[in-house]
Amino acid sequence: MKLPRLIFVTGKGGTGKSTVAASLATALAPRRPTTLADLEGRQSAMRLLGANVIDADAAAIPANSRTDTTDADVALDFLTITPQGELEAFIQRIVPLRAVSRRMLRSRTFGYVTAALPGLEAFLMLERLRQLGGNAALNDRFAVIDAPATGHALELLAVAKGIRNLAPTGTLNRLSSGVEEFLFDRNRFGVLLTVLPEELALREALEAAVALRDRLGIECVGAVLNCVPPTLFMPAEIAKLRRLEAHALLAERRNAQAEFARHARRELERAAIAVAELPMLYQATLGAHEVATLSRRLATEMLPR
Amino acid sequence: MKPAQTLELGDRRLLICLGPGGVGKTTLSAALALNAAIGGRTVDVMTVDPAPRLLDALGLTAGDSSIQTVALAGLGAPRGSRLRALKLDPKATFDLLIERHAPSAAARDAILANRIYRNLSTALAGVADYMAMEQLLELHRDTSTGLIVLDTPPAREAIDFLDAPRRMLELLGSRAVTLLSAGRSALRSRFSILDVAARAVLSAFDRLTGLHLLGDVQAFVGSFDGMYAGFADRAAQAQALIRDDQTFVVLVTTAETERIDQAIEFIEALTQLGLKLGAVAVNRLTAPLPNEAAIAGAGLPAALKRKLKRNLDDFSALQQRETSALARLRKNVPASTRLIAAPDLGREPRTLADLAEIASALYELSA
Repeated sequence: MKLPRLIFVTGKGGTGKSTVAASLATALAPRRPTTLADLEGRQSAMRLLGANVIDADAAAIPANSRTDTTDADVALDFLTITPQGELEAFIQRIVPLRAVSRRMLRSRTFGYVTAALPGLEAFLMLERLRQLGGNAALNDRFAVIDAPATGHALELLAVAKGIRNLAPTGTLNRLSSGVEEFLFDRNRFGVLLTVLPEELALREALEAAVALRDRLGIECVGAVLNCVPPTLFMPAEIAKLRRLEAHALLAERRNAQAEFARHARRELERAAIAVAELPMLYQATLGAHEVATLSRRLATEMLPR
Repeated sequence: MKPAQTLELGDRRLLICLGPGGVGKTTLSAALALNAAIGGRTVDVMTVDPAPRLLDALGLTAGDSSIQTVALAGLGAPRGSRLRALKLDPKATFDLLIERHAPSAAARDAILANRIYRNLSTALAGVADYMAMEQLLELHRDTSTGLIVLDTPPAREAIDFLDAPRRMLELLGSRAVTLLSAGRSALRSRFSILDVAARAVLSAFDRLTGLHLLGDVQAFVGSFDGMYAGFADRAAQAQALIRDDQTFVVLVTTAETERIDQAIEFIEALTQLGLKLGAVAVNRLTAPLPNEAAIAGAGLPAALKRKLKRNLDDFSALQQRETSALARLRKNVPASTRLIAAPDLGREPRTLADLAEIASALYELSA
């Protein structure tokens, strides 16, 4: 896969977006300095890597904070991008009087007005991604984004076009051309889809790829087929298990998942989507160690040696 | 393990399913509704975003948000029971609400065409929640319905849904909105110098961003003038219904680590709102695993036995992951709240029979 400077990881809820984003960032970091950024405010990907985030109260985490890893060998840093944080930064940019801009931001009505705008906050987040991607291109870095689930992600990416129509002049109009250019630039921006070997997840990925291409003119870099079980049983073996019904069911279930994974791979490739596979990890815990295993696998599947 | 087939709803009239996205809330709502109908009640289920196969199973079509009667033939439902299903359409519901409360046809058209309204009704987080509540009140008026099962939009926070009426009222009634719609003379007499400054800043924002919204906001707020009372009344009714003793709230989650984290946050938020949580339902829980001893005595080739053992070990590891997540959840479930589980079917539900199977396989997670 040819990876752009900024990789936007999205997929159906529960398909492992955070795990894949964390693994990919871990795989990239030894090659180039990498930023792992989170758009949901949950910082799930960072937590998987054991990053030191305050977990008691998400609101207590300063917006758009940078948390650097303690590991000096690997250049991986974390960034949290929130709508509220971007809005604040934007308002403070256009309203230099701090007392006034703070007062505006505190007003709930102002919050509602901006939320009712067709994606002002979303647009400002895209603008932030543009800066991040531009910076990565300039300084030979990578940025990996743990993005929202497919539906929200598509809305987010569609916002650049909408905002230009709404603001015929002014600051936003100027910014929007830059954002659109960024989204169409395959060197700087690309979408990576996460898929599970399950019908709904596969369907959502295929639909997202079509929507990205046809509606937004954005090509997806590829898909990560996650949780693929290694095949264990031959059909003839399962046939021998008639007297062990419960075990036979479990064996069949594993085989069915492996079979569906092969089907999913074929379907994705038929839709001209490059596929990287990650194995199902049959482990009692899912943490930094497992992410390291997955990142090694992603490195061999996705990165040129 | 003891079966919890009917959730012991008694004659409760409303069951609300809340939870994070992607946990199978819609499926579980439909399953619980079907189960109650098979148990002899007249049930309406309102779904939010059903998967295509679930739509098929319920006899709904994607574009249509009208109420449909589900055919229960062959499922053992007694005479007189009934299941109806409908799909939430926030935009259509909001439009209907405007039509009902607008003082004149001109006011109605002005609102429906307003740029702020058009975006508010589709984009603003919370509108879908509020409209779910609104549609619920509509269903609740129909006394032929014994039980309403309400699926809710996926929420990052539980209170997004339950708090929706209050926030909607706050938007329409807030002082700053009044400020926006007030004329210059009123501004001088009734508001402080800081309010005037905020207004000046808002118009500067408007000019700098190039959005030219202020006019639209003023028009929108102005056209809502005569409708506030109607909205306030509905919101108060919705609030009361949620807190009614006859309402049973179910928090749906899966046993994945991250979903459990979210579920615990939901429980805290609900407790803070002073709402009673009827049950926490853990969906798609790995079913109990087969016995390892059976492999040894089965008279199978050694290689196959090794494979069976490995498969069992693999699934045990996954189950262990679930068990430790569940232990964390259990610590956070209030004593008066039931903790139940729906086993993983191992396939996506395609038919009513699949839904019935899910509901009848619900079991109580013992302490």
